[in-house]
Amino acid sequence: MVTASRSSRPLGGAVADVRQVARGWRWGRRSMVPRSAEQYVEDAESSVFPTAWSRRTPAIALREVAQKGALEPLFRSQVRPYVEGLDVLTRVRGPVIFVANHASHLDTPLILLSLPDEWRRRTAVAAAADYFFDTWWRAVGSAVLFNTFPIERRGGSLAATPAEVLADGWNLVVFPEGTRSSDGWLGKFRMGAAWLAIDNRVPVIPVAHRGTFAAMPRGQGWPSPGRRPVTLRFGEPLHPGQGESARDFAPRIRDAVAALLDEDRTSWWDARRRAAAGATPDPAGPDVAQWRRVWTQSAPPRLPGTAQRRSTWRRLPRGRRQAS
Amino acid sequence: MLALEMFRSLPRHVAAKAVGGRIPGVLSGPVAPLRLVTIEEPAVGKPGWAPLRTRLSGVCGSDLGALSGRTSLYFSALVSLPLVPGHEVVAELLADCEDIPAGTRVVVDPILQCAARGVDPCDACRVGSTNRCDRITVGHLSPGLQTGFCADTGGGWGEQLTAHRSQLHGVPDELSDEQAVLIEPIACAVHTALRAKVGRGEHVLVSGAGSVGLLATLALRSLTDAGQITVVAKHGHQRELARALGATDVVAPDEVLRGVRRSTQAFHVKPQFGSSYLLGGVDVAIDAVGSKQSLETALHATKAGGRVVMSGMPRGADLSAAWFRELEVIGAYASARREPGADGRGAFDIATELAGEAMLKEIAGAVVSYPLHRWREALDHAHSAGRLGTVKVAFDPRSTR
Amino acid sequence: MSRPGFVLEVDDRTPPIIVHEGEGFRLEDFPLGTRVIYPPESLPALPDVEAAIRHALLNPEGSAPLPELLTAGMRLTIAFDDISIPLPPMRSPDIRQRIIEAVLTMAADAGVDDVELISANALHRRLTGAELKSIVGERVFRSFYPQGLLYNHDAEDHANLLHVGLTDQGEDVEINRRAAESDLLVYVNVNLVAMDGGHKSVPIGLASYKSLKHHHNSKTMVHSHSFMDHTKSHLHHSAWRMGRMLADHLKIFTIETTLNNNVFPPPYEFLLKREWEWSVKDQASMLAIRRGLAVAPDRLKHKMFHDLRAPYGLTGVHAGETEAVHEKTIANVHRQQLVDVQGQTDVLVMGVPYLGPYNVSSTMNPILATCMGLGYYFNSYRGQPLVRKGGAVILYHPVKPDFNQLHHPSYVDFYEEVLSESTDPAVIEAKFEAQYATDPWYIHLYRTSHAYHGVHPFYMWYWAAHAMDHVGDVIWVGADRRAVQRLGFRAASSLADALEIASGTVGSSPSITYLRNPPHMIADVH
Repeated sequence: MVTASRSSRPLGGAVADVRQVARGWRWGRRSMVPRSAEQYVEDAESSVFPTAWSRRTPAIALREVAQKGALEPLFRSQVRPYVEGLDVLTRVRGPVIFVANHASHLDTPLILLSLPDEWRRRTAVAAAADYFFDTWWRAVGSAVLFNTFPIERRGGSLAATPAEVLADGWNLVVFPEGTRSSDGWLGKFRMGAAWLAIDNRVPVIPVAHRGTFAAMPRGQGWPSPGRRPVTLRFGEPLHPGQGESARDFAPRIRDAVAALLDEDRTSWWDARRRAAAGATPDPAGPDVAQWRRVWTQSAPPRLPGTAQRRSTWRRLPRGRRQAS
Repeated sequence: MLALEMFRSLPRHVAAKAVGGRIPGVLSGPVAPLRLVTIEEPAVGKPGWAPLRTRLSGVCGSDLGALSGRTSLYFSALVSLPLVPGHEVVAELLADCEDIPAGTRVVVDPILQCAARGVDPCDACRVGSTNRCDRITVGHLSPGLQTGFCADTGGGWGEQLTAHRSQLHGVPDELSDEQAVLIEPIACAVHTALRAKVGRGEHVLVSGAGSVGLLATLALRSLTDAGQITVVAKHGHQRELARALGATDVVAPDEVLRGVRRSTQAFHVKPQFGSSYLLGGVDVAIDAVGSKQSLETALHATKAGGRVVMSGMPRGADLSAAWFRELEVIGAYASARREPGADGRGAFDIATELAGEAMLKEIAGAVVSYPLHRWREALDHAHSAGRLGTVKVAFDPRSTR
Repeated sequence: MSRPGFVLEVDDRTPPIIVHEGEGFRLEDFPLGTRVIYPPESLPALPDVEAAIRHALLNPEGSAPLPELLTAGMRLTIAFDDISIPLPPMRSPDIRQRIIEAVLTMAADAGVDDVELISANALHRRLTGAELKSIVGERVFRSFYPQGLLYNHDAEDHANLLHVGLTDQGEDVEINRRAAESDLLVYVNVNLVAMDGGHKSVPIGLASYKSLKHHHNSKTMVHSHSFMDHTKSHLHHSAWRMGRMLADHLKIFTIETTLNNNVFPPPYEFLLKREWEWSVKDQASMLAIRRGLAVAPDRLKHKMFHDLRAPYGLTGVHAGETEAVHEKTIANVHRQQLVDVQGQTDVLVMGVPYLGPYNVSSTMNPILATCMGLGYYFNSYRGQPLVRKGGAVILYHPVKPDFNQLHHPSYVDFYEEVLSESTDPAVIEAKFEAQYATDPWYIHLYRTSHAYHGVHPFYMWYWAAHAMDHVGDVIWVGADRRAVQRLGFRAASSLADALEIASGTVGSSPSITYLRNPPHMIADVH
């Protein structure tokens, strides 16, 4: 009876089927695993979101429009970036790996938008597969806007794509901490970036930035008001030595980033001297109460060598300014 | 009196022939050559004839066949129009008829043989094989093989008819009218069963489970030593009735050959472009339908040297099997006054006994009767009786509703 | 890495689950708390099949290497499992082809001239030439078939059967004469399920009706708990006695193979996946196929399914002395099919798919559907049945009274004559089996056409005897009501209705277990 009525109304049957599947498989929402099956579910490393399309011409063109036409003006309207050390880029040839500390979602646009256009257009960003690529709309959005591609941060090994992306001549931005810092200080560096550099024989350009944590810490969806300053500093390229292992190379990268942070806070010369003496302050921060660590980092960076810019006009109170 | 009259109408005959079989509704509709009329009471006016008032008169397959033009034109010389159909009749005498007093309830043996026609007995009638009478077109009466096919006698589908003493059989009081109206068809079944000459333990196939098939099953079980009786039944209640009347197994029309093959371990062969048949099969097959398919089923399921009895009015069938398998194909028409297979007893006497059986009370209880003016409904019902679960549809001319 | 089978408990996160029903499938929303038994995922296949076969033949279990058994002038017979396994049929090349080719290569090297190949089809239908070819491959077929040296076993060819003797329990051992009189009989098996193989190969596959009826009867079947476990099956005990007796008379070199669970090729591979892991593509192909099936005419549906060829991988091949080989084979089968299940259930739900061993390229008629559900699937247990004594079994299948007249002539009569009289296996056996087994017409069709033997439907019904004896209610979902009634079971239009019907025997909140096969599995019930 059932089959007869179904075949006589194929359309009605189709609607019922689609409805059942849409409900059963939670279309548009997260798929779920039955509790009793959870222990048998494999890690989803195989589910790599394909991003090759985002490195082809139409996507590049779209990205150019999005970055230049929307992202950059928006970004500059919310924070005040200060960028130093771009001259290193004249001394290397791509592809390179930009390795930076990671404290905020502002880091990626900050680095990308700070790069000269010809570098920016050839730079891709490694992004956590489980965060940026777990829904199609977030994956597509970040791939279009930031040229992200997925990497696996839990499994320890990077998926195959980064090497392919490098081999295609793209520069990479890698945050070797694997996640945004919870307090603004530097976390542990994973070795993925070092592996990549060694395997693909490409130089690493250390990048350090300060102020993004203060401007938009973890858990905040939009930069704090007031156009807070953020600083970004590119360091000398690091080439993995002959036969150097990732285990040796990774600390070198971290030291370089630490020295850049030191330099950003003080001056190049002071930082060099401290680095030579092995006295670069630990970028992981002092071992003090958590609130003090956050307190320190949540202050906007004081720009070295320049006094706070003086306004000719006293600033208006916030409410008034917005009203104008 | 009121009566249903079948009249000569070439257009209706042709039209009924063309579509009647396929669209039974049309049969009872405008194209049936039948009408409800007021006519003079029939009377023959010769000795031995008496008027009867119909109590109940059954609708037979042959009646439907005649109305839908499916009956062979062979019979056109043996009937006289216009006629009042109805040869399964239970009635009461309106006047004394020789030794039978008025008011007696009787059933009519419809055959209008020599005695009724007032001619000297022919060879067949002399020995009591009245159904084989050769004089059915001559004598006092218009041509007509039976009451209900003769213009002079009237028939059961009218309020009155007339019958000859030789046709009358008294009905015991313990039989109801519904049981009594079955006596004529039972007599035919008795004749069929006796004609089949079934040996002890022989396997009989009855193709068809309408009233003819069911009553034949009863007669076979009661009068012969048949072993297995396989009945071909289309509808659910027919299966049950067939079992109750003595069938050992019941098969659907499309299962016949397989079922018979299985129980007889015959071989099954399929010719090119034709219906398949058995090599081997039942000892005796009875075609109780009369259709081409049914007759072929009977021919094809009977073993070499076996017997095929045509109980229904047959239509053309492939007779190859009859020749190749050396089958005895025999007819069984109506019933005889003295049945040679039953030590000369009359089929009606045997039938009257059988009609009192418990099983038949049930069937008789399910006889559906209609007044004459609802004849279209009645014929429609009779035409689909098997599907509707009715064994017999009858007219009750006394009834007004 | 393949994951083990496991028992899912349906909760609010569980998507609908696939249930097979004949030439189609449906998505069923099972009640919360229903246990769903998933088979282990397909094991990785052996990478080099030819090397594995060679290794098995050269290093057999409990026997000299095959080349040492082959001598010039000997009579060599190779018997092999017929088309009833594997299911679905294997994508070419069939594993039997590869093994037979390896054996023949060695035989040719040894100078063996007198070689015959026999399909061990017992009372199954004769295979067509094309079917034989699909099993043994073109080379073997061309070399032997035209000469009449590759043929089907004929259990009714009395001139070519040899009564070897009686077992200690008085069972007749009568097998193919050529096989019995060979210097070496090589048997090539595909051990699809645990029931196959071992001494079931030669003493059953090459036997006559006279020999088979000692174990293929309702009494033995009721006492086989289950026949997926040869140590607890009376059927197998009898076969083992016969096999041991035969092994004394005849040199048998058994080659057994096991396959993995990779039964559905694309685009049907979603049927093998666990539902909550279905990708969008899986969901889309499921919907597409389901809609296609809904509008497809029956012939097309039939073709869609029966044209499936499974991309099986080989998980093991062992050769040598039958029992030693079978032990290893069974271990491999268990590795692929065993699932631990805790405790019995009130209601067991099973979907009967389009194919069973006896309807390859044919129709699954009501009797075969019963055999598949209550015979094969019900008996897919080790230890104790999945459903408790007196519980209910719910099966999904259309159960249309369609019969293939070429393959199953006696089934039609069994359905129409026997089942309308009784459905009790013991009654049927006593009253009808001998009639059917000796019916000359069935014997004729079995020997010359492609029909199963007249007695075969009885065996199918006996397969289900243990289940019928064990459970209370048998309810078919989505089935032809009249056909199911003829079978002596009950019909329901949906799972909810079926549970309603079953509530009479198991109460209104029974424990429900759904055995989600195919692919095949064995529930190890503790």
